[in-house]
Amino acid sequence: MTGRLFPVIQTGAFIVLALVLCSLIFAAVGLSATGTLAAIIDGAFFRPNALNHILRWGLPLLITAVGVVISFRAGYFNIGAQGQFYLGAICAAFAAEWLRGSPAFVAVPACLLAGMAGGALWALWPALLRVKAGADEVITTMMGNFIAAQLLVHVTSGPLKDPSGSGQQASSRPVDAAWRISESSGSSPVIIILAGLVVMLGWWLVNRTSFGILSGLAGRNPVMVTWQGAKVQRIAVSAFVLSGALAGLAGSVELLGPNGRLASGFLPDHGFTAILIALVAGMSIVAAGFIALFFGALTSSGLWLPIMTGLPSAAIDIIHASIALFITAKAGALRALLTWFRR
Amino acid sequence: MNRDHLHQEAGASAPALTAEAVTVRYGDVTALGEVSARFEPGRIHAVLGQNGAGKTTFARVAAGLVQPAEGSIAVFGQALAGGNVAEARGAGVELVHQSFALPPSFTVAEVLQFVGPRPGLFTRQGIERYWQAWLDGLGLGLDAGARIRDLPIEMQQSAEIARAMVSDARLLILDEPTAVLSPEGTERLFTRVRELRGKGVTVMLVLHKIREVLAIADTVTVLRGGRLVAGPLEARDLTAESLAELIIGETAARLDAADRAALVGAGAQQHDEHSRPDTPPALVLRAVSTSPHSGGKGLNDVNLSIRGGEIVGIAGVEGNGQRELVAAIAGLDPLTSGEISLADKRMDKAPLAARRDAGLRVIPFERNVEGLSLSSPLWENWSAAQLVGGALLAPVSPRALRQSAEKAFRAWDVRFSDAGQPAGSLSGGNAQKVILSREMDSGAKLILAAQPTRGLDIGATMAVWKALREARNDGAGILLVSSDLDELFDICDRIVVMVSGQAVAEFTAPWDIQAVGRAMTAAGRQSAQEARS
Amino acid sequence: MEDLIVAFLRSGTPLVYVALAGVIAQRAGIWHLGLEGMMITGACATIVGIVLAQSVVVGLVAGALFCCLLAVLFWFVVEVLKANQIIAGLGLTGLGLGGTALALTAIFGSEAAVSAPFGLPRIGPAFGAFGGLSVLVAAMPFVILACWLLLCRTRFGLRLAACGEHPFAARATGVNPAKMRLVALLLGGPLCALGGAELAAGSLQIFSVNMTAGRGFMSFAAVIFGAGHPVGATLAAFFFALVGALGIRAQLAYGDRIPSSLLLALPYVATVIGLWISARIRGGNAVSSRELGQQ
Repeated sequence: MTGRLFPVIQTGAFIVLALVLCSLIFAAVGLSATGTLAAIIDGAFFRPNALNHILRWGLPLLITAVGVVISFRAGYFNIGAQGQFYLGAICAAFAAEWLRGSPAFVAVPACLLAGMAGGALWALWPALLRVKAGADEVITTMMGNFIAAQLLVHVTSGPLKDPSGSGQQASSRPVDAAWRISESSGSSPVIIILAGLVVMLGWWLVNRTSFGILSGLAGRNPVMVTWQGAKVQRIAVSAFVLSGALAGLAGSVELLGPNGRLASGFLPDHGFTAILIALVAGMSIVAAGFIALFFGALTSSGLWLPIMTGLPSAAIDIIHASIALFITAKAGALRALLTWFRR
Repeated sequence: MNRDHLHQEAGASAPALTAEAVTVRYGDVTALGEVSARFEPGRIHAVLGQNGAGKTTFARVAAGLVQPAEGSIAVFGQALAGGNVAEARGAGVELVHQSFALPPSFTVAEVLQFVGPRPGLFTRQGIERYWQAWLDGLGLGLDAGARIRDLPIEMQQSAEIARAMVSDARLLILDEPTAVLSPEGTERLFTRVRELRGKGVTVMLVLHKIREVLAIADTVTVLRGGRLVAGPLEARDLTAESLAELIIGETAARLDAADRAALVGAGAQQHDEHSRPDTPPALVLRAVSTSPHSGGKGLNDVNLSIRGGEIVGIAGVEGNGQRELVAAIAGLDPLTSGEISLADKRMDKAPLAARRDAGLRVIPFERNVEGLSLSSPLWENWSAAQLVGGALLAPVSPRALRQSAEKAFRAWDVRFSDAGQPAGSLSGGNAQKVILSREMDSGAKLILAAQPTRGLDIGATMAVWKALREARNDGAGILLVSSDLDELFDICDRIVVMVSGQAVAEFTAPWDIQAVGRAMTAAGRQSAQEARS
Repeated sequence: MEDLIVAFLRSGTPLVYVALAGVIAQRAGIWHLGLEGMMITGACATIVGIVLAQSVVVGLVAGALFCCLLAVLFWFVVEVLKANQIIAGLGLTGLGLGGTALALTAIFGSEAAVSAPFGLPRIGPAFGAFGGLSVLVAAMPFVILACWLLLCRTRFGLRLAACGEHPFAARATGVNPAKMRLVALLLGGPLCALGGAELAAGSLQIFSVNMTAGRGFMSFAAVIFGAGHPVGATLAAFFFALVGALGIRAQLAYGDRIPSSLLLALPYVATVIGLWISARIRGGNAVSSRELGQQ
């Protein structure tokens, strides 16, 4: 049992360390550390309708995070969740445009599938560059994020531009109200069921299939799996494409759900937050379910902070970044640190 | 003995190395326990013992790489704080590592420059000229401009020795220097070591073959299980039999004489006669070639046939195509020409999964890299072989896999507490047994065993040999790659020598170590010259 | 043509400075994905320093100090706590991006862009069309030369490379790889600060949130493309910059026909292609472990 408990304690310890760093930074820029953290927690969990906000932000993150778990477990650092999320939303928006006028029971699944296809394609090219040429996926998927962001600017100000829109942000025409799967400000049973399905399928894939066990081994030691005769390239591409498809699904859920339209630069931190969720959850799909809700709460708090308390929303970015900095640290290293200082 | 007299002598010329109750622990394991010994200057000292006896740890303590938990070390009368390489180098200790500590992309000159005493800006030609002159003075026959990764293994060792000599080492420690050398290369190394002794350098050789110890050492120190058994003893008073007793200890009685001689490298080359059955070949290679790639030349026109029920050994200095041969048979290295048949089926282009289906099993070179995923649970490591043939989306039952794994582990006497524990938590011998339990099932028709006993202690080595013999008796063909000629002589039916990616000679019992050694180096020297020019 | 060269040097110089920092870290064995965060910190500190203290020197020194602070933090996390370099690097980048936004709100009350009354000194009208370039552009060749000498022609450089390529070889000769990596990261700190300073104060004299827009990552890609060699990384950085400058040129010429946002994506596409080419040339490793638990 201690074997299972240890990673949890280690993760907790390093999150505390991350919060200490955040407090130092808040103090350095003249914010009250305790006051800021209290306001963030208050905004996350104790404002009116908090649960609805948590689900609204947490569930799409969860869908993307399950994908991130699948690719990270297989040993591929698909940093491109953000770009795959955007491509999913873009493809879903195009599908919505072409299907204008068709009934919801056709259009909604078609849009969701289009989103998954878009995300999968945006993960496929880095995957092929990786396994065929050996180009490092961290940089290619990262560049994919920037390219996808420019593509989003392009479609929202070009092909899908909303002619009546006048805001600072370019955006697309809103999707048909009948196809929306949730209100603008909340979650809905459809999204909850979708996220539940993704978690169940993800869990099954990771824990109860040949792919799950082999990709887990390949992620830790691809050479060994090669010497066992597994097709490592196929596993790699599958893991990439699955994670891209899930990020794309999250993009189409955001489009048909709370957002209702494409807007350039929307949810710019979605991918990074999903990566954090996967890491904090220690690559466990079930844990990711809970952690995603926590990060959903933080995200919603980030939007609430500037409005209600005048605190900058960048405070949330700092918390995210600090957690990223420390989350992969190893407790055993602290002991090594002590011996190092004794030298 | 008169203690006062001894003390006076020590004052006149302090011992090269004095260890006082040195204890080293890695976690719960005691690698060295209260080892005390003193080594006189100007002599050649051998430190002898089986794998896991603590020889390398002792060498590393002396060189400042490992900090002892208790005890103290003094070099030429100067006490060391320990755990500090710079301090040990300052006192004149240099260690030549078993797997050389040389960055592969560096040239020899760069290696010497980086450890050497010359700071400031340099030019490439400048350091090459300077260090070439220095190397020529040393008579090592090294080219200062050659890159480490392009050098044959014996030359890499020379470079490592040169590196150690840069700081005018007074105590030179060589950790298992002969493990990678041919018998002739070993002879050349010993000549060099004697020359160093002639120049007043104290040399400590970490060895595990009695034959070599008796050929070179002035004194012998034996370690077993991290404890000092005896020493330093005067080598001239010792015999192979008395040393074997010291090395192996009380388990010695249980071992078969040939196995025992092979274990300690005592030189007996008997062979348990095994009637070779007239079975169809399990493996046939016809004119197989592979393309050269980083770090290797590739295979060149290799013909080889292994029948079911025989063990064929591959001898050769490391880096002469053994890895390429195993990779080619496993289907991980594509053939440029030639044919491979497994159990009478052509498999030139078949993937490894298909070859496994046909009865191929692999015990790979690198146990901890190619053989096991150390951070993954034991049962996942074991299950991989069951899963690779099927569809990726095939449903599996972790519980059932876990149970079969546990059953297999128990049958192979793996000491484990939980099939969910990471493979890295096992000792080397147990880890190898996990691999055996996975690879040596009843469906095995051809087993590639690459260095299967490297780094294993006596018990585990015996378990591996027993398993290989049993598999042979059950009709499997076995390809055994080993750099330990004693091991090959002990259990093989035939031995093929590889040089530069070619199978150059074949031997059968009774073995002639000189002839095999000549075959290993004849063309080896050629390739060394190629690398120089 | 001169316009193009000026635009090219302006967009290339920040990349080169930051890429050199990445090269030094890479040689010591650190994948420095925190470059982006250090670069924006340098950019922010320079502009804020100029605005508050009316002094370029104060801005540059502040930038260098903050970058060194981040370097120490990064070193502590990856070397002492053994965190994964890639994730920790992304965290450092997030800290830089978020921290600069936070600093702007703390100092000026909002995240709006801040413009400075003056920027880095220019090399002057004596150079004609190039007179508008900053001194950092002019200093660049010397910085590249210094880096090359340090890394490829000194014993220190060899030790650094040994720490990256074969840490045991370094340890076996009494060199402490952990300390060498700290030195490498600390050397990179001021270089990142200069890269950020050139970006913000070289020609624009403005700082806005997220203004680096992936240039730090592009610099890192230049390190990979350039095989960890200072000259190679410089050439790679200039290749990315050239594509960017041509994109801007094309925008002016064909803006009505090709959507500008797609032209803005060109440097990122070039980076991907660059990585692809370098992987093909060097036969990149198709399977390599990225396990989060690996040391």
